[in-house]
Amino acid sequence: MSLRDKYEAVIGLEVHAQLLTESKMFCGCKNAYGAPPNSQICPVCTGQPGTLPVINQFAVELGVRAALAIKAEIHQESIFARKNYFYPDLPKGYQISQYERPFCTQGKITIGLSDGSEKEIGITRIHFEEDAGKNIHKGDHTQVDLNRAGVPLIEIVSEPDMRTAEEAGQYLRTLRTLLRYANVTDGDMEKGNFRCDANISIRPRGQKEFGTKVELKNINSFKFVEKAVDYEIDRQIRATETGEAIVQQTRGWNSAKNVSEVMREKEDAHDYRYFAEPDLPPLVLSDKWIDEIKSELPELPDQKKARFESEYGLSGYDAGVLTASRDLANYYEGVAGASKDAKTSANWVMNELLGRLNAAGKDIVETPVSAKNLADLISKVQSGAISGKIAKTVFEEMFATSKTAESIIEAQGLKQISDPSALEPVVRKVMEANPGQVAGYKAGKVKLLGFFVGQVMKETKGQANPGLVNDIVKKLLDS
Amino acid sequence: MSESVKLDRDEVLKIARLARLELDDAEVALFQDRLGRVLEYVRELNQVKTEKGASVKHVPRDAVSIREDRAIEFVDREALLSNAPAQIEDHFLVPTVIEQS
Ligand SMILES: [Zn+2]
Repeated sequence: MSLRDKYEAVIGLEVHAQLLTESKMFCGCKNAYGAPPNSQICPVCTGQPGTLPVINQFAVELGVRAALAIKAEIHQESIFARKNYFYPDLPKGYQISQYERPFCTQGKITIGLSDGSEKEIGITRIHFEEDAGKNIHKGDHTQVDLNRAGVPLIEIVSEPDMRTAEEAGQYLRTLRTLLRYANVTDGDMEKGNFRCDANISIRPRGQKEFGTKVELKNINSFKFVEKAVDYEIDRQIRATETGEAIVQQTRGWNSAKNVSEVMREKEDAHDYRYFAEPDLPPLVLSDKWIDEIKSELPELPDQKKARFESEYGLSGYDAGVLTASRDLANYYEGVAGASKDAKTSANWVMNELLGRLNAAGKDIVETPVSAKNLADLISKVQSGAISGKIAKTVFEEMFATSKTAESIIEAQGLKQISDPSALEPVVRKVMEANPGQVAGYKAGKVKLLGFFVGQVMKETKGQANPGLVNDIVKKLLDS
Repeated sequence: MSESVKLDRDEVLKIARLARLELDDAEVALFQDRLGRVLEYVRELNQVKTEKGASVKHVPRDAVSIREDRAIEFVDREALLSNAPAQIEDHFLVPTVIEQS
């Protein structure tokens, strides 16, 4: 029995997602990434005395969208709270958050696993928060940029429902896809717009009580979610097996060394002294307002997948692949709409485009072949202008150069030859060069027909219309 | 108030630590008494009958506190930067801190 069979991991994730608003949570400063330092600050978000926070209505609406997307309970009244701690990136000395009464509780999402099974993961709560600024460490000093201070966030806290690193990774991906579909966040982990902390503990299989949990931070790329969680599970198992006690602590993932390292022990754990934010009234979400937000909710992955199956006649598998992200689904719909051939479009996107994008490490939004250009290529095959085989060559060139199918076909002279008077001489030439095969065919070896068709295709560099070649070969051999 | 509340030494030290304050023995004694008086005042407030009044935990729910999501630039960032004790390269300059969150 391996040690992994002896123990079971218990994992819960806390995700912070920046909301796609124009302005910050409680002031009018711009919410935009990458601006010059401290160019998006004002008296409110720098914590000047005498200022008051004013709630961004759209931030609230995006939070409600997130709640709707995870089928959670939305509370008509929630309360903002102050989370008190001192750190240079937090100018007020407290972060406005929600504590005892968040606006959303009891949600769930369903994740798919590699063995084909599905699992439901509970979501304890979602609450609103404001982001902190950024400390930049420069050796002998630290400098602070407050552009990010006050940017609206939602924190999504899962139940400790995950048992493996794969489940944690899939939960994170599924949650991100949902929130991106609903236009709540852009979900960019590398930019820090979507951040994840994991609470991880282990217990002997069969034991009901939870083990001592360790908080794992700095999981800031989808590339190493599984690796980081797996490492921490292994570390705890090894420690337990060697009689070392697991201590409650915060560890950070070091992606350069592929290890988790202690950040702080329990004794240093924060004492946040939460209390109700006296500068803000309770947040009231009327049924009418929630209904309005619901009516504006973009189509979510499940709905889109069902629609792709019914509207385009795709299989469940194909519809699932093509709705993996909203950008991909939009791309596919662009191709299918313009080419008027949903099934062929799905094949091209899935078999030709996605494979090449993956190999190049590119996302669909970076595709060198636009939806319109791919649709044009498909139309050219349908109209007989080029053969299916040539189309693949053309596509390769389109992917490499971003050029249109038309210009590549033109420049390389790849147009399909569908003129019998142009093909007949080629067929005769092939017959003259292969008298033995001609005799064989006439003696009854009809299978040799394929040989002649192949030779003609070769002679024409694949440009001949194969159906037409077949007809001409047959006609001339039989005559 | 009849009896005076006094915080014990460890409570004062804990609060001081959370506030990033270093207190000497005389100051600890001083705050045992002062913070005790704050608690006494709160106890006094708690005796006010508020059943019929609105909750005083937070501001009234009809207070204007929601705004349209529109970016408005604050033009005088120099004033904000110069309000801090030190600046460097358009940043607020602070003593070295160890990253922890
Ligand atoms: Zn501001």
